[in-house]
Amino acid sequence: MTRIASVLLAALVGGLAPLAPASAEELNLFAWSEYVPQSVLDGFTKESGIRVNYETYASNEEMLAKLLSGAANYDLVQPSEYTVEAMVKEKLLLPLDHAKLSNLKNIGKEYYGQAHDPKLAYSVPYMQGTVGIAINTEKVKEPVTGYADFFQPKYKGRLVVLDDALEIVTWALASQGLGPDAVTKANLEKVRPILATWLPLVKVYDSDSPKTALLNGDVDMGMVWSGEAAILIQEQGKKFAYVLPKEGAHMFIDSLAIPKGAENVPGAHKFIDYVLRADVGRKISEEFPYTNPNLEARKLLTPEERANAASYPSGNPKLQTFRDIGTVAADVDKLFTDMKAKSGG
Amino acid sequence: MRQEATGFARETGQGRPPGRAGWLLLAPLVVWAFAFVVAPAAIMLVYSFAQRGTLGGVVLDFTFENYRGVVDPVYLQIVIRSIVYAGLTTAICLAAGYPVAYLIGRAEQRWRNLLLMAVMVPFWTSFLIRTYAWVTILKSEGLLNSLLIQLQLIGAPLELLYTPGAVVLGLVYTFLPFMILPIYSSVEKLDGALIEAALDLGAGPLRAFSRVIVPLTSPGIAAGVLLVFVPSLGIYAVNDILGGGRVDMIGNIIENQIKGNARNWPFGAALGTTLLVSFAIIYFYVNRRQRAALVR
Repeated sequence: MTRIASVLLAALVGGLAPLAPASAEELNLFAWSEYVPQSVLDGFTKESGIRVNYETYASNEEMLAKLLSGAANYDLVQPSEYTVEAMVKEKLLLPLDHAKLSNLKNIGKEYYGQAHDPKLAYSVPYMQGTVGIAINTEKVKEPVTGYADFFQPKYKGRLVVLDDALEIVTWALASQGLGPDAVTKANLEKVRPILATWLPLVKVYDSDSPKTALLNGDVDMGMVWSGEAAILIQEQGKKFAYVLPKEGAHMFIDSLAIPKGAENVPGAHKFIDYVLRADVGRKISEEFPYTNPNLEARKLLTPEERANAASYPSGNPKLQTFRDIGTVAADVDKLFTDMKAKSGG
Repeated sequence: MRQEATGFARETGQGRPPGRAGWLLLAPLVVWAFAFVVAPAAIMLVYSFAQRGTLGGVVLDFTFENYRGVVDPVYLQIVIRSIVYAGLTTAICLAAGYPVAYLIGRAEQRWRNLLLMAVMVPFWTSFLIRTYAWVTILKSEGLLNSLLIQLQLIGAPLELLYTPGAVVLGLVYTFLPFMILPIYSSVEKLDGALIEAALDLGAGPLRAFSRVIVPLTSPGIAAGVLLVFVPSLGIYAVNDILGGGRVDMIGNIIENQIKGNARNWPFGAALGTTLLVSFAIIYFYVNRRQRAALVR
């Protein structure tokens, strides 16, 4: 019986193998969906001769799940700041060789000294963004400056928010003057009554494409990724505005990093250095208008792109990154699940 | 005579282990069932008694904690909601699907394939694309609202999308063919003479339907109910897309344990195991009733 099984398996594997040419150098990139332009991948392959296999995920946790299962080997991953911190703690990332990253100097100084990886020893910022309020100014006439203005009974059924337990809990903490590092079991109980008044107002939870509900006219305001808002402003700048909550907003930094077990470490360095080039960074901004941490690439942007308030907010907003919260994450998820279910639907 | 022959064949055929050729023919199925049914279920069962790793993954340390979570009121309310939605979906599919299946099954031969094809055609498009199509129809400025406003039936757009109603609509739309096809195959085998006999012997159309047609097509009904209820209980894409993420079902909770913030694989495995065991119980129950009904 087992012999038959192994013969069948061998036939299967043997049938698949010829699909991958063994000669060409390959790089397995595991990154967020809709984050790496095809033109950048093609450009890299053309210059280096390295073929890039681009596989995508929709959440940091999904990436971790696949990485931990060991089902596939990746040479590059793209974790957000709190996941970089967790992965460094668990020794899941390889240190970077800065000598091989000649374009690292293009990264802005403010990206050094961040708690998750202060010296960029394991991760290089790919894109940075914020979570803020996208407003359809044709429908919402009163000024909206923070979480308290956003979650008002008069906007019931007109709001979209990210379908993300940790995000929503940190907004509630911010409304109480607490930062995202204050996610503890005790503070979660403080947040419970706030979520009980907020969540019944929400019409849509969407992390993948929160701009869709705004564009379709199903909601008037959203707590969304800045890149989503930037696209709304690019397309209909008169209609949409972006505001960072005055109580404090999440600043996320999505970075490129090399996971333990990577097979093509030199190729991974080459790819990072390619992405760090000014002209390449510029191409990424064109398709995904988040905040580009590459200062040389920013110089190549058009005045309109630089003026987009979602990509490059003016003033001095209060921004904070997330920290790894360990196993409290399960309690955050449980609280959100409970409050969501109780808010009707 | 023929009856006896098949009875004889069944008696000698059953219970005798398949020979070498039989095993060889069976091998693909056995390998398939082991690799894709038994092994994953076993892994899930083991994980459900393990403890969570910090980043996800599992630590193989025996605990019942995960099953305590399943009966936690927070998750129990979602289990109950899922059962209600799946039950509603099944009921609507049965009510809407039975007449269709009956008509197709009783239609003239040349029409039958055409009608069956009409039921199958939506399957040729990706399930996700079909679900997103409903967004286009139901949204505030969508096709349905525009039509109703044009016809001056309503003044302002109705709130259709991102409601529980939209979720049930999406579930019914997705699973209706799974109800129609098995009932159709039962109806097709239905002996018209039996219905005529019932009518001749004084049964009204209603009585003939409830006492003759329904019992004779009950294998199809049972199969359809299982095929609709079980997957609609575990699905998570329809409620995300059409429910706006507000209507969490068990599938969403399991997804959150693996791909969401929680990173609690063992709890996800415990929920999955609970679903699997419940389905098995439902299946055996339906099956036994089915057999009992046939004997009667």
